This record gives sequence, structure tokens and C-alpha cells, in this order.
Amino acid sequence: MRVSINWLRKLIELDITNTELVNLLPLRTIGTKEATEDFIELDMKGYNRADLLSMRGVAYEIAAITNSNVLFQEPNGDEYIWNNQTLPQVDVKVEDTKLVPLYCVAKIEGIEVSPTDPTSETAKLLTDSGMRPVNNIVDITNLVMLEYGQPLHAFDADSVENQTIVVRTAEEGEKITTLDDKERGLMKTDLIIADPQKPIGIAGVMGSKSSEVGSSTTTILLEAAIFDPVTLRRTVTRLNLPSEASKRFIHGLTKERLFQALDAAIRKLGGKLTALTIVDNLNQTPVSLNLKLSKVNALIGIEFTPEQVEEYLKRLNFSLEKMSENAWKVTAPYYRLDIQVEEDLIEEIARLYGYEKIPAKELQGVLPKPIDQSLFKLIEKVRAVLVELGLSEVQTYSFYSTAVLSNLEKDKSKLVKILNPISIETEYMRDNIWPNLLEAAIHNLKFFDDVAIFEIGKVYRQNQLPEERYILSTALSNSTDNPLLELNTIFTRLTTALDKAISVNSQITHNQEFHPIRNASLEKDQQNVGLIAEVHPRIVNRFKEENRTAVLEIDLKALL
Amino acid sequence: MQEKISQIKDEYLAKISSVNTLKELDEIFLALFGKNGVVTQLPKEFSALEKEQLRVISPLFNQTKQQLEEAINRRRTEVREEYYQKLTQEEADFKTTVPLKSRAGSAHPLLQFEKEISDLFGKLGFQLFDAPHIDTDYNNFEVLNIPEEHPARDLWDTLYIDTSNVGKLANQLLLRTHTSNAQIRILENFKPPIRMMVLGRCFRYENLDARHEHTFDQFELVYVDKGLSMANLQYLSEYFLQSVLGKDTKVRLRPKYYPFVEPGVGIDGLCLFCKGEGCKVCGYVGWLELGGAGMIHPQVLKNGGIDPNEYTGIAWGPGLERILMLKLGVGDVRLFRSGDLKFLKEARYI
Repeated sequence: MRVSINWLRKLIELDITNTELVNLLPLRTIGTKEATEDFIELDMKGYNRADLLSMRGVAYEIAAITNSNVLFQEPNGDEYIWNNQTLPQVDVKVEDTKLVPLYCVAKIEGIEVSPTDPTSETAKLLTDSGMRPVNNIVDITNLVMLEYGQPLHAFDADSVENQTIVVRTAEEGEKITTLDDKERGLMKTDLIIADPQKPIGIAGVMGSKSSEVGSSTTTILLEAAIFDPVTLRRTVTRLNLPSEASKRFIHGLTKERLFQALDAAIRKLGGKLTALTIVDNLNQTPVSLNLKLSKVNALIGIEFTPEQVEEYLKRLNFSLEKMSENAWKVTAPYYRLDIQVEEDLIEEIARLYGYEKIPAKELQGVLPKPIDQSLFKLIEKVRAVLVELGLSEVQTYSFYSTAVLSNLEKDKSKLVKILNPISIETEYMRDNIWPNLLEAAIHNLKFFDDVAIFEIGKVYRQNQLPEERYILSTALSNSTDNPLLELNTIFTRLTTALDKAISVNSQITHNQEFHPIRNASLEKDQQNVGLIAEVHPRIVNRFKEENRTAVLEIDLKALL
Repeated sequence: MQEKISQIKDEYLAKISSVNTLKELDEIFLALFGKNGVVTQLPKEFSALEKEQLRVISPLFNQTKQQLEEAINRRRTEVREEYYQKLTQEEADFKTTVPLKSRAGSAHPLLQFEKEISDLFGKLGFQLFDAPHIDTDYNNFEVLNIPEEHPARDLWDTLYIDTSNVGKLANQLLLRTHTSNAQIRILENFKPPIRMMVLGRCFRYENLDARHEHTFDQFELVYVDKGLSMANLQYLSEYFLQSVLGKDTKVRLRPKYYPFVEPGVGIDGLCLFCKGEGCKVCGYVGWLELGGAGMIHPQVLKNGGIDPNEYTGIAWGPGLERILMLKLGVGDVRLFRSGDLKFLKEARYI
């Protein structure tokens, strides 16, 4: 949310400087991404404060944390422009009221569309808020959205067949050309706005090109709605079409703000309201929560007085009903959809007080019973022994690079595969570590003629479901034509230090990855637990390296 | 000129087929294509030629050059294959131990740092707990109050596992995006008081650059007991940051939203470079964002079978790589998993 500072100062009686405000916001409310003379950008990524996606919500919040007054009034529902007139309905059919709990359309005639003067105050407000001025109609819907947090959409009424609106899910394969001139394929899971013939908008995401308000528009159908956030988010993700509007739909909207926004927009647009339909199946009741002073103090770790608790919550427009000396029934203001449990209220109190003022308190209580730490102790011991023997520890990715996959002719069907890899370098997960160590050793052989490295980590194997286990792997290239000799000595020293008997069974292998003679399986209690081998020079050569390299790999369980 | 070219060709093709080592082949390559190689030098004589002649010589020269290159490459492969065949004559010896070369071994700086941290919290009675890297959407998200399509999911760009070959759990298996996938296992399997630490590799869908990694390590405390408060959380944060960044490190908590804690907390340390004045490292705010934490959400405790009316919990975790980069004076997070020994062996706290 990009908050225009000029606009904010018109909404609150604010006594502090911009710099003070920018410093205070992260301590009381939310982090900021950017701050200039003209705007403060709140870091809303993943946040649950839907109310902060409106200037009014931001104003209430900042008024609370700075203990100042807002300069606007909550609109009174009785004064909405449509309340004192009898209006015909726009023909609207809402197919699924679960997906569309509230849908309103106002028909406004006698509209005059004119381009926005780029030097106007409106243009400045919009650009400070991160939006582009378009024409008076679009600008008004955007400004109203910014102020109230409720997105609005205007359709050119003459482009809507029979001026009839159907809100439904799309047919598989149905297509729409959106405002940005792109044709988009729709799916059954997408919610759309249509006329009897064709889609005229993807609900909450973008309108169609054909129903766009243009210079010849004289009548509009103005939409204000609440759509199912889950359905909408799925469509936005699939089409990769995030927008200022969709963001607000996804975070959650309220009936109160919707009517306030619709009323404000109709008044600002001019023209004449000639028809209105409200399909209201939304039941939003404010949550009432029990709050105990003892719980507040226990969770925050500070002794608050009842007066402090009351003051903080009242500043945030919560209403309190005293149940006893130190307990209340608290109701959140309608725009705070994020308040669900008592702990949410306690967070409000903590942040108005200031997290940074909470003193440190040492941990008390009895220590838990010891649990098995042998795996971690073993890892520590193995690391210490190998470092002592002169090896350097490395960490490589849990994936196989394309170089490893091709040079080792890996059978990809046996590997755990990523459904949505970032690139082809992160598509397959490692089922051994030594190929990655070989790659790392070869990288280092460009700078050193001797490389001795190890990694302790997890490998991932495809079974019915993926399995993972801890292994130790090492790689050694020491400028000799038989590095296995030294690596085997290191292994012997390691098993001696750990007091473990692992048998080395030398074998003739047809495994193309290894030297035909210099390879062995590691066994414990007749079970295969790893390998020690020289990597076949052919494989090393494929990495454009000549030096002979030996590797070791062992299941950590065998060393436990 | 034609004669000269075919002479070079015959002479060197014969040489190429007669040698038996890669070294000799390299020498022939240099003699032909090195700076003063005969093929490299030959075009210098072309300026003396008539246009007509050049029209014949030019293609001939190019063809010969290509033939010689191919011959060297072919012979190189042959020599290699002959050498590979002879490997069966080599011996394997798993009995003899040899004196080890003298090398300066080194632990990985990140794992070294993690060891320091687990020792630090070990002193407070925290014990290590291991959780899988590949986990269910349920354990990583849902049970932590992050249902599907919840806007908070934007905080974790996730890598999913392709399970089409097993024909089940489509889109349900993922690479854990945080160590918090351990929380439900800890809460379900242990009775309070609980003091656990989880350490290890996590993954995000993130394009690599100097400040972003798709693979990173997290450290997390899961602490459940009677009467825990945000004041304990402040203590843990000070205890940690003052130990790793210096005794006079100032620590400040601020509100932060994570769906699985309430209240949610961001942990800042006073910038150790400018001491709060504002500098490039801290983005001119004077404070560094160093971790996230909070009081475990009552719903999460309930999901783990713990009564939130009786117990409270703290989840606490610093950004390991971020802090270590500050300590090492390193600007590129990718170095940690580069396997590059120049970096790994020389990394030192500043």
C-alpha cells in the first residue's frame, strides 16, 4: 500500500513530521518498503491487515498510534444516495452466492468522459498512490478504492448485451480479451462477469476490452462486489495478473466499506443514478472477545492497569464492555477482519504500548527431560575428526546440476523431481552427495592441485514416496594416480576414531561411474552402507579435468 | 601453395596417428594452432596470391584446418579409451595405510556458526530436533494456520515435489520453506515443558543473486511452558544477539505478522556498523532486521494437542546467513554453497 502523505494529512490532525512517522510505523504497526516526500509504501506482503489497504484504514491506524484525531466522519448508512428514492433494478443474476456473497450494480446515465489533466490535484493524488491517471471515470473509481479499500469497476453499459449481468464460473475453454488487449483462456475455476452472450470481465481481476469505458461512453454499469478470496487468488496466480483491485479482494472486504465506496463514487461521478441492484447474501457479524487483564499481563510480561488496556483499545476504535474489574467483552471495529482471538487483542495492546519497551526476563521453570541427541553428536564428532585429518567442509545444493546429470548419465526417472523448478539446475534432487563433491573438487582443482573435501547432509531417494537420509561424503584429488590410497587411509582413521567396524569389500564393477578395479562397497552387519571408489577417469574427463579423484559415501546411521 | 598445404596435412596427420599420449597430442596441437603454429601462420602468405588462386586455396585451407582438428580430437578420444581400457590392469589396495598429506582442514563457516548457536542455547536447556526437508503441505502450512490460498502464502514461494509417478499426494509434497515444519511434530510428541531447537536446510522458489538463495539454513526455537511472555522473547533475543554480535548489541522488538504466532514479533539489532546512525549496510535506518518470532498461536498449540489455557509458547528464529554475512563481511550469500575453497578456508569473523 502506497500512502500519499498529502492525502493522509487531510485525513488526520497529525502533529509529527514525516520522518517521525516513518520511524514510528515499523515500531507500532507495519514495516515500510520505501518512503519519500510524497508517499510511504507499507510492506503488505503476506500481511493480514486488510484495513491498511485503504486510506481511511491507514488514517485510523496512524491516528491511534500517534494519539491524534481523524478529520473525517464514519458515513451514516441512512444517508446513502439510493435510500430516498425508488429505483428500478439492473438485470443481475448471481449463480453462486457462496462465491459472490455481495454483488451491487448501479446504472448511471448522462456520464461525460474526459481525459485527466496530468497537472491536476487528482493526477498528483493518484501518482503519489502509485496509480496512473486515465480519465475522470476510471480515476474516480480508483480514488474511491484507495480511500475506502473497496475496488469498483465501471462497464460501458451499451457494450453489455441487454444491459444484463450474469456472475458465474467460466466454461472450460471460454475466452476473453482483457483491457490490456490480451486474449486469455478461462477455466471452470475462474469466476467471471458476463452478459447473456459473452464474458465482460474476470471477476475482481480485469474487465474486458469490449466493455471498457471510452470517450463515447454515456451510461455506465458500476460494479461493487465481494468475491470469494480463495477463488480469486487462484485465478490471479494462474493468470499472473495481480492488481491493486485483486489485492484488496484477496485480503478481504467489508459490507460497510462497500456501501460507503459505492455511495461516494456515485456522488463524485455526476450523471444520474437510474437503476440499482444489490444482491446481498453476506453475513458479517463483528467478533466479540473476552479479554482478561491477567492474560494480557501474563503474555506481554508487563503489569498494565485496566485503564491502560481500555485506553489503547479505544484509541483503535474497539468497543469495550466491562464484565468485571479486570475483564471485558471487546468488539473490534467492523474494518478489523484480522481480529479473531483474545491474543489478537493482546497484540494490539502490546504494540500500542511499544514492543521495544518490553524488558527482558530470564527463562524460568524446570528443564525438560533429555532426549536422544546421538545423531547431532555424531555429526559433530565426524566433522571434528575430518577437519583434524585435514579435510575442508563444503555445502553443496540438494539438487543435481545439469553438468552432473549429463556427465554422470544419471537416470532421471529414479530421482526425486521438482514440479515447479526455478531452472533446470534445480529440477532433480540429489540421491548421492559425491557427484556434487566431484563437481566442487573439479572447480577447486582450477586453483589448487590438492583438494580434500567433505559434506554431511541429506540425500533424497525415490521410493513409494520420497525418502531422505543423512550421509557423509568425501572427495579427494591429490595429484597422484591413486588418490584412493589416501582416501582409504582417511576412512580407516575415521572409523578408528569413532570405534566402528565397517568392512570394505573390494569388487569388480561394471558401474561406469567408477574405476573398474578401485572400488568397494562399505558394509556393516552384511548390509550395504556406502561406497569408496575412484571416480572413473572418463567421468572426470567429461568435467574437463584430468586429475584422478576418489570419493567416499557412507550412511551416517552406520556410524551411530 | 596447394602443395604446401597438402604437405602440412600429410605430415601432421601421420604424426597424429603415430603418437600415444595426450601430452604429445597437445604439442602437435600447439605446433599447428598455437600463436606461431604452421596453420596459424599460413594465411599471412595469402596476400601474395592472385584472386583466382585464392578462390581455390581458401576453401582448401579451411578444409585442411578442420580435418587436422578433427584428427587430433579423434586421436585424443582413442588415446583416452586405450588408457581407460588399461585401468583394469591397475590394482586396488584397501589394506595399506599411507601417511596423510599435511593439509589445513576447515569446518564450513555456516555450520561452525550453527554449532556456536546450538551450544549457546544448549546452555539454556534447549535440545536439537530433526525434521524432514520434504514434507506435506499440511505440516509446512496448514497446521500452522496457513490454509491454501491464504494471502500469507505470498510470504513463502514454494517448491513442490512431482508425485505423478506415485499417483498420489499431487501438490501435497513440498520442500519445507522453513524449519517450522518441525513445530507440529514437537508439540505432538513431547509434553511441556518443551525447549527444542530445529536447525537445517530450507528451500524457497527464489532466483539466485547476491542477496537471494533458493537454499538456506534456518534455526528455530520452540519453547513451551507455563507463563511464558514476550519479556522472555526479548531475553532470548538479547542473549543471542549479544553473544554473536557483541555484548553491547542493542535489541529491539517490533510487530510483525506470521500466521502461526500471536503476538508476532520482528527482531532488530542496532546496526553494528553505524551504531544506529544509519549507513549503507542497514539501509540508513540504523537497525538491522535479524529475525522473526512470536508467541505460538493458540490454534497451533491446540493443533499439537497442547491446552493454550494452561501453556504458552515461544517460536523464535534468527536469519542465520544474514547475520553470518555481517560477521564475515561477506556480500554474496551464494558463496556459502559454492564449494569454493578460496572462500571457505579464508572466511573469518571481522
